[in-house]
Amino acid sequence: MNRQIQTIAELDRVIHEPGRLMVVALLFAVDRSDFLYLQHETGMNKGTLSSHLSRLEEAGYVEVSKTYRGKVPQTLLRLTAAGRKAFEQYRRKLKGAL
Amino acid sequence: MDQIESLLNRPKAYYNIDGVGELAGGFMCLGVALLMWLQAHAPKESVWHGMPAFVIYAGMMCLILHYGPRAIKQHITYPRTGFVQYRASDARWRPMIIGAVAGAATTVGLAIGLRRHWNLTTPASLIGLLFAASYAYNFARTVRWKWAVVWVLALGSVAIGVLPEDLVGALANRSWQGALMLTMILFGTVLLVSGGISFGLYLRHTQAPVREAQ
Repeated sequence: MNRQIQTIAELDRVIHEPGRLMVVALLFAVDRSDFLYLQHETGMNKGTLSSHLSRLEEAGYVEVSKTYRGKVPQTLLRLTAAGRKAFEQYRRKLKGAL
Repeated sequence: MDQIESLLNRPKAYYNIDGVGELAGGFMCLGVALLMWLQAHAPKESVWHGMPAFVIYAGMMCLILHYGPRAIKQHITYPRTGFVQYRASDARWRPMIIGAVAGAATTVGLAIGLRRHWNLTTPASLIGLLFAASYAYNFARTVRWKWAVVWVLALGSVAIGVLPEDLVGALANRSWQGALMLTMILFGTVLLVSGGISFGLYLRHTQAPVREAQ
């Protein structure tokens, strides 16, 4: 198999999905953010964003914590060390394949 | 790939989504200009020539610059478009290193220029052009109408550089102080106006939060 095609086939599918890629890229650039920020930046609705976050949490890429800002519940999200490493590898492979 | 890189830059641009970065910058520039004006025009026995007044003034400015943007973020921005905590390296070390290098270079340049009795209105306008370039990189890249602000800052800096030395010198004791004061007034006013417009647009285009779980 062509090496480039093989690289594409090896891309992390959890991150490769466009919605999740947006979430991971945004979280990669910060220490942590809340759900509202990701919703605002990605333009996804709550349900879609929640399902992507659940998938990323299952993969161990995102850490979710619940807290309160005053009396308002707040969901904070942070990329784990594994998530950071996976995204860096994904970028490297994608760059190599293109 | 470019889209991923642009996504990675979005959180940085988000810091000034409400114009708070510019408002803080404008406040700082006008604050410095006011202090320079007071020191140049106050009588010699005035408190403005003493160290305590300078320390209190600088301390008050630091407090306002630290807590003002934070209050706006917490009460207006985070409830509307979300909370972001930046990585420590981006939030602390990079600005500190850039600030220290720029400050040291300016001080060394100023010291050499004063010792050799150079006309320092042109370097003051060069500093203005550098600020304009920094503004273009940090703010105007993401919001197109802010290129108009870059042009105003750049042309204003050039205009200050070509003003007659004695006219600029009349503003302060020395011509370089007058040029620097004019640059600060120009930048402070333009940044406050630009930040105010950004803040108004932000309030208009975002909705006040609904009281429910996020």
